[in-house]
Amino acid sequence: MTGTTDLRPTVRDATPPSSDRRRRRGPDLLPYLLVTPLAVFIIGLALVPAGLALVQSFYRVQELNPPVRFAGLDNFRRLFSDDAVLASMGNTMLYVLFGVALSTLLGIVMAMTLRHPFRGRSVLIAIMVLPWALPGVVEGIVWTGIWDSNSGLLNSVLSSLHLISDYHVFLGNNRLLTILAIELVQVWQITPLSTLLILAALQNVPGDLHEAAQLDGCSPWASFRRVTLPLIRPGITIAMVQALIQTLNVFDQPYVLNGSASTGTSLTMQTYFISFQNLDFGEGYALSLVLTITTLVISLGIVKLVYRPVEF
Amino acid sequence: MTLRRPSIRSLGVMFILAWTLVPLYWTLNSSLQTDAQITSRPSHYLPPTPSLKHYASLLGGSSDVATAIRRSTLNIFIECAAATVVTVALATLAAYAFARMKFRFGKVLFFAVLLTMAFPPYTTLIPLYRIMTDLGLVNTYTGITLVYVSGFLPLATWILYNYMSSLPLAIEEASQVDGASRMQVLWHVVLPLSLPGVISTAIITFLFAWAQFLFPLVLSSDLSTQPLTVVIASLQGRHTIPFTLMSAAGIIAIVVPAVIALTLNRYIVSGLLSGSVK
Repeated sequence: MTGTTDLRPTVRDATPPSSDRRRRRGPDLLPYLLVTPLAVFIIGLALVPAGLALVQSFYRVQELNPPVRFAGLDNFRRLFSDDAVLASMGNTMLYVLFGVALSTLLGIVMAMTLRHPFRGRSVLIAIMVLPWALPGVVEGIVWTGIWDSNSGLLNSVLSSLHLISDYHVFLGNNRLLTILAIELVQVWQITPLSTLLILAALQNVPGDLHEAAQLDGCSPWASFRRVTLPLIRPGITIAMVQALIQTLNVFDQPYVLNGSASTGTSLTMQTYFISFQNLDFGEGYALSLVLTITTLVISLGIVKLVYRPVEF
Repeated sequence: MTLRRPSIRSLGVMFILAWTLVPLYWTLNSSLQTDAQITSRPSHYLPPTPSLKHYASLLGGSSDVATAIRRSTLNIFIECAAATVVTVALATLAAYAFARMKFRFGKVLFFAVLLTMAFPPYTTLIPLYRIMTDLGLVNTYTGITLVYVSGFLPLATWILYNYMSSLPLAIEEASQVDGASRMQVLWHVVLPLSLPGVISTAIITFLFAWAQFLFPLVLSSDLSTQPLTVVIASLQGRHTIPFTLMSAAGIIAIVVPAVIALTLNRYIVSGLLSGSVK
């Protein structure tokens, strides 16, 4: 920049920014160059595949039984008459119920704990986030150490406390218990994000609202329910939607903890078995389409039910 | 009242610590015991004779389990690094265009990016596998990296777009007036100012890539490209590997993301929040 302010226009005219020059000559190409790589990825490896999945779910695509041909609703018909698929739908509903409820509840408890500043709070947040950063597969190994029927921590503690007389098998026998135990592992992974989202919402709640409620004689519980909870509903909504998407698509934890045992098979696992073990891609496409639409519909449902705009 | 609140909080603090750390401690504890010690009832809550022999056998041994762990560790580093570099580079360019330039189809493309973020994670699993098969890219680093990048780009672009949009325009305008081209502005002004956002995006992308399992399970068929997660799951599936050794393998897979999560926590938190709120 040379000299005083009144010189500026002259300087600018002498050396116009290249963008101005280009704009005068024709269409500005720079933004297109900048977004082309992104566009190639999004179109080629997300939108086209999604479209392919949509179309091919109406085709017979079987590796062992070529060629590919139109099959109408045949894939969907076979899905809904397959006992394994129906069982995995029931299992997935339980994963979702346990997972969304527990991660939201724990998320609220943890966020309330972390709400006000105290010594060591940032260290505690770092520790709290840790399970979010770990691979689901490895979390399956970690929790095998807790649930194991021969040497697991839970069996050891329960029998030391004389609550059980003999070591229990937690995974694989009882359907409800198996799903709860596996889902707890996923809850361990997804609760940190729920906590952060709810904590962020809590931090936007003005502190004086709380004091006013306390002055008016509200108990802490009443002021939480009447003042805090309504104000953090948007944060809770986002937390529930992310938990829903994760739990509806659960794969790593049941795959590692329970293998292909039918007691805990999830829909995503079933999609994997149908496509990559039976090599029936058409039916796999159909099932993943069902899963995609279910995810989108329930997400919207949660937003409608839980979300309320907040005005301070 | 003033007494009760801190005590409720310390219950919460203890819960967070126990819930997060007990399972991890237990894995570490198991990995330091012998195969005989781990079957003891009740369990040893501290390793009686702590030993690193399982780690030594995995990292230095010549068994096929050890070879698989070492090779897949190399693979996961290569795949995560490649996916992170490509994702962050492409997302930075696109986010700058979306945040600072008006162009035809810009809004449409931006909407398409947001739309793919709404897809559940495995919507494109089967079609991507078939596309990669047709392109001959199954079981290659390139194939896995392309799939990772396509999965992580939307969130990365969204985080960086939010970050760049929040920067004050004045500095960029001043440097344009000084005669800098827009690419110079991106490189010398926007990028340095966006560095915290870029770091957040890189860390989150790296951690996502490190955690991948189902995509590489499908896209890599042998040890030449299988990442650590896939190898660990297949070892667990064999049911013949002692849990002490499995625990050591688990800890090896945990160390890198755990160190990143504990030391760079504030970048993760700010990135996650700017990625999901709004």
